[in-house]
Amino acid sequence: MRSSTDTGWLGAARDTGHLVAFRARTVRRRGASLAGAVVVLGLTAGFAIAPNSFDLGGSGSSALDQAVAALEANLGGAFLGVLLLAISAAMGSGGGRELLSRSEVAIHPVSPVTEHLGALLLAPLNLAWLVQMWGLLTVTSLVTPTDRLLGAQLVVLAWVLAATAIGQAVGWAAEGVRRTTDGVVVVRVVAGVVVVLVAGLHLAGTLGPVARSLPTTWLAETAQTSSWPVAVLVLLVLAVVGVVVGARPAAWALGLPPREELRVQSGVHEARPVPEPRWGSPDRALLHRLDRGSVWRSVGMRRGLMVLGIGPGLVALVAGLQWSSVMLLPGLTASGAALLFGVNAWCLDGKGMVWRETLPVSAADVFDVRTLVVAECMAMVSGVTIVLALLRNGMPPLVVGAAVLSCWLVVLVQVLAIVMTWSVRSPYGVDLSSPRATPAPHASMAAYAGKLSLVTTLTGMVFTTISTGPWAWLPPAVAVPFLAYSTWKLRRTRRRWLAPAERARVVLTVAAV
Amino acid sequence: MSQTPAVVVRDLHVRFGDVEAVSGVDLTADSGQATALLGRNGAGKSTTMKVLAGVVPPTAGEVTVAGHDAATDALGVKRVVGYCPDVGGLVPRATPWEHLQLSARLRRMDDWEERGRDLLERFELGDVAHRVVGGFSHGMSRRLSVVLAALHEPTVLLLDEPFDGVDPLGVEATLEVVADARARGACVLLSTHLRDLALEACGTAVVLRGGNRVAAMQAGELTGEAYRALLD
Repeated sequence: MRSSTDTGWLGAARDTGHLVAFRARTVRRRGASLAGAVVVLGLTAGFAIAPNSFDLGGSGSSALDQAVAALEANLGGAFLGVLLLAISAAMGSGGGRELLSRSEVAIHPVSPVTEHLGALLLAPLNLAWLVQMWGLLTVTSLVTPTDRLLGAQLVVLAWVLAATAIGQAVGWAAEGVRRTTDGVVVVRVVAGVVVVLVAGLHLAGTLGPVARSLPTTWLAETAQTSSWPVAVLVLLVLAVVGVVVGARPAAWALGLPPREELRVQSGVHEARPVPEPRWGSPDRALLHRLDRGSVWRSVGMRRGLMVLGIGPGLVALVAGLQWSSVMLLPGLTASGAALLFGVNAWCLDGKGMVWRETLPVSAADVFDVRTLVVAECMAMVSGVTIVLALLRNGMPPLVVGAAVLSCWLVVLVQVLAIVMTWSVRSPYGVDLSSPRATPAPHASMAAYAGKLSLVTTLTGMVFTTISTGPWAWLPPAVAVPFLAYSTWKLRRTRRRWLAPAERARVVLTVAAV
Repeated sequence: MSQTPAVVVRDLHVRFGDVEAVSGVDLTADSGQATALLGRNGAGKSTTMKVLAGVVPPTAGEVTVAGHDAATDALGVKRVVGYCPDVGGLVPRATPWEHLQLSARLRRMDDWEERGRDLLERFELGDVAHRVVGGFSHGMSRRLSVVLAALHEPTVLLLDEPFDGVDPLGVEATLEVVADARARGACVLLSTHLRDLALEACGTAVVLRGGNRVAAMQAGELTGEAYRALLD
């Protein structure tokens, strides 16, 4: 007898459609979601077309010429970066995002193939995925002759599809391994070996040549020739194969118990004494410890923070990003960290938020501690990115260093103010026990990712521009109004949180009671 | 001389947007007494409990808990209340011991460990004191919520559906906690759908319907038939 979950590809596709429709019906602000989708599509088209109209040849600037030449030489590396990101994103999210949470889907006959297709559909709702695609479209547009632009961009889009499908398949396979006995250790060892290998190649000075010798370089070159249809065809075949093959490890992984999550749930965390901080109140220190524990004891958040900390830095190493490009990374990694839970920061407490609210502690302390924990996570992952960029590029000139630090501080406070505002304004009741879960509905996550990437990229561009000037005092000076605005916004959100009725709304929504 | 009731609710209204969850509830509960709060789903029991716990501010009306005004002194209310919420009520990635530690610390309890251990043992949670509660069954979570509510020996003990999904031993332990609280002079408010247990634990009963109080009586007078009549 056929299993009720064994419905084949057609049935799985139909079921995926039902799940997508169900989720779409639960979108709160349809107009805003539609506008967000239009903005994302508009930006994609803009990044694909607009840079091509820049007359770089007529600029007469040798620095600009060198920069364009460097971009062109590293285009293959950028293609490779998309694949690495697709793999790491799928691995980080336990195989891929879920259309319905584990508890919601448990009562329905949903097949692993449906889960696989759902994860593929949701892969683009990821800040890093969008930014990588936009970056690749932009660079390709910059370095490709106008008469070859359409073909080259079609190759890029086909590559993004193929890389996503391959990444998903690898992600499911890694999740399957992780769910076997000692699988977590195996995955960690393999990941560690890869990192050490990349670092070794970099130190030996052979990372660039190795990256350039990969087929992605051929792909980047072919995209700009008349042979681009061949590349598109190959990539589309690769994408289809990736989708079909990926269903096998998906079924395998989803058939195994989530060992790492179960270990966290059944693991013993011995009691520690009440903290006695040198400064600050013990109450806040205890709240801080509890909130930190809620982050680091979550498999998904811990994994996500590690991927965000190391991934972009490795891309910077492999692709040989200069400081001008690195400047954009702290904002993006900080945004990525915020998207793990910061956009709905109160969801860390889950249903326990009602109990938390009955504790005799000031609402201001609760807000300040939660803000601090979100800020810590963002600062940590973006800090790792900067350190890895330092390894690649060495100490920057004074003005560039000032710009990097100013930009880092600005984007941290900026993202913090934005996500805490969202957390109070639009809370959601979610269960983050699975690494495949997201802190907000997918449409909201896409909108959040779009806004954060736009804001931080524009901010990064401002500081990149300033860093080309001779004045080291200018970046900190420019940072002041940015910081003042974000601080004002954060304080306004804090005031809103302190209002009892407003706080009760957040508490009851997050606790889903 | 008559003593001021520990809980005084007069014409309580709670509104969430267009929905009026509680519309004009009047309620008093004395120290040393246990009062059952009964009614159908959506009657306003849990919302009233949340107001008494200082979680939800009253939209209108007067709510005083052990002398603290819930509208203006929510922090004072939280200090004197022990509250077991109707759903969940636990931080998923913290252990029972960490819950107890935080609760005790914020209430300035110095020697709480022994009582904490004793309560965990009474509710058969001693073996899992250092495991995150995300892996707990529903019944275990309910039992821990009662432990947390009782830890600091509150002046007002609010138990919202404490028997839901709890095994007979957990029910017994909960009834003991209620009896202990009454014995030391605390005011207990207990909301449940299980009339028999409510009558066993409480001396008086208040029935809510559609956000209003429809009856207040001695628990013994609330027969099955009388209760059904009040619900319809």
